[in-house]
Amino acid sequence: MIGFLRARLAPAWSLVGLLLLVWAVTLVASLLGSSMQLQAQYALVNLVIVVALFMFTGTSGVLSFGHVAFVAVGAWTTGLLTIEPALKESLLQDLFPFLVDLNADWRLAVLAGGLVGGIVAALVAPFLMRLNGLQAGIATFALLGVVNEILTFWSRIGPRSGQSMVGVPDVLGLQTTLFVALAAIVAVWLYQRSRSARLLRATREDGPAAPAVGINVTVHRILAFALSGIVAGVAGGLFALTNRVVQASQLNVELTFVTLAMLVLGGTLSLSGAVVGAIVFSALDILLVNLQGGITLGAYVVSIPQGTRPIVLGMILVLMLLFRPGGITGGRELAWPVGAPPLPGVPVSGRPPQVTDRQPQVAGRPPQVTITRPPA
Amino acid sequence: MTQLIQSLIDALSGGAVLGLAALGIGLVFGVVRLANFAHGELITASAYTLAFTWHLGWFVAVPLSIVSAVLLALLMEITTFSRLRTAGPATLLIASFGLSFLLQRVYELAFGNNVRTAPVAPALARSVEIGGLRIQLLSVTAVVVAVVLLVGLRLFLTRTTMGLQVQAAAADFTTARIVGVRAGRVIGVSFVLSAVLAAAVAFVLMAQTGAVNPTFGVSITILALVGAVIGGIDRLSGALAGGFLVGFASSMLSSWLPQSVVAFRDSYVFAAVILVLLLRPSGLFVTRATTERT
Repeated sequence: MIGFLRARLAPAWSLVGLLLLVWAVTLVASLLGSSMQLQAQYALVNLVIVVALFMFTGTSGVLSFGHVAFVAVGAWTTGLLTIEPALKESLLQDLFPFLVDLNADWRLAVLAGGLVGGIVAALVAPFLMRLNGLQAGIATFALLGVVNEILTFWSRIGPRSGQSMVGVPDVLGLQTTLFVALAAIVAVWLYQRSRSARLLRATREDGPAAPAVGINVTVHRILAFALSGIVAGVAGGLFALTNRVVQASQLNVELTFVTLAMLVLGGTLSLSGAVVGAIVFSALDILLVNLQGGITLGAYVVSIPQGTRPIVLGMILVLMLLFRPGGITGGRELAWPVGAPPLPGVPVSGRPPQVTDRQPQVAGRPPQVTITRPPA
Repeated sequence: MTQLIQSLIDALSGGAVLGLAALGIGLVFGVVRLANFAHGELITASAYTLAFTWHLGWFVAVPLSIVSAVLLALLMEITTFSRLRTAGPATLLIASFGLSFLLQRVYELAFGNNVRTAPVAPALARSVEIGGLRIQLLSVTAVVVAVVLLVGLRLFLTRTTMGLQVQAAAADFTTARIVGVRAGRVIGVSFVLSAVLAAAVAFVLMAQTGAVNPTFGVSITILALVGAVIGGIDRLSGALAGGFLVGFASSMLSSWLPQSVVAFRDSYVFAAVILVLLLRPSGLFVTRATTERT
């Protein structure tokens, strides 16, 4: 009976445990004052981006520098839909007329952000998903470059270059952000249990073998890319409503670095890794921000020099890669707390899993197979 | 017509600079399979050195700028990359990405966010008129520096034992080690060479702009990396040609694109890059034989 319960509960725990963790951490943050609440809200937005990034990179093993492009597109959409038309008309003079009149409730605007993010991802996926390894990384980087440049300079769909979209309403709040973040985690967890995700993980584990047993790598990658584009777009919508100013320069390489660092810190290969990485990184980030401002501890004010924060964060990423390349979770999902058996399908071997496209080196030569063509 | 020739000369120098940067990236990639994002920070380091020491005279500043890039490259290799030998290219890429971000912040902390200016080689900013063409001495210098370095590198790689070892390691690292190539030394040499190339790029860019900030090397590195990959990062000639092509194309685009869309120049380059990657994933200038070997 207990064994049965455990077998049923353990997989669900990898979801419920994560939700509880995020909820608890947010709850603690919300009790620490209003400035902490805002910082927690930003952290949750980043968490959704990391979860989206994991949904693709973690499942497929293909590195993506491009997801922030979908975040940017989502933020743009939400920004354009929620700013008052009168304000848009006076601030964004070059805008397409239909965009000036377009207006939506913020909930709808966030969904629209997700939709547009997903559409853009789906449009580029058939091209990008044929590539592997370094080429895929470079191509997604190029995608980020193109999208960012278009958003920066094309004033028919946004502000003129160097300016930003202001006037996004203050409607979101920490609680709503939390609910959306939890929903994103549930969505990605469900996706991870789908057939398509399982097949995609197989292609990640063994590049040549997966197509040999009939898995269409490209199709499942495209699906993962498009779906993760939706989640990233929603994250963009949340970003717009949290930041209340939308600017292309904030949605570029730096955000890519930060979110990638979160994912690597937690562990690229599990949803728990993505969530834990985002939480730990954000907590540390917030701590360092406050330390830079000076924290009062009784009679002492503890502070660190300005500019130390990004250096510490960069060091953490590099050190993590050096000493624990599998991340905090090492690719494992959250385990049932009391003596549970490991989850099926999750690597538990000592070798830290890596996102890699290099095949493990096998000692000795593989058997030579010679195929000779029959004479024509 | 003169305008065309003028833009061609500019494009040649733009291509030469990016070609050098891409070659630096390709050299390291060939030996350690590392697509080094942090190459740009070598360029930045040397540019800062030029800015701070130029008043002492070029014969001090130029050697110092080379030394600073070389030291930084060796530091990166010893502290980080040498510990990641068994990791895959994706991990290495993320690590160098992290290192690049880290170093930019270190520069920010050390030298501030604002630009530091110094009149580096002001004599090169002059232009000479030949038959109605205004040719910047700097463009000529860029091309000359590139050619000299390429010839030097070529001689080193083909005429010296060390150079041959680097080539062997770049072609097949495992086999090279088996036949007695010293891995650590070869890797060190390739990092040093890439740093020297970075210093050359820094010199030309500093002579062009005269100003350096913490993210000085970022955009050129991204373009060079992209160029190296589309040219075929596996081979030195491929990386060089790809870098040259990207530099040439983006310079030509900025001369000839209509005013209204010139801001989107990099988008065209990147879009072309994605296209090339789709058609020739292992690089434009890679023959079938080399593709099959890897």
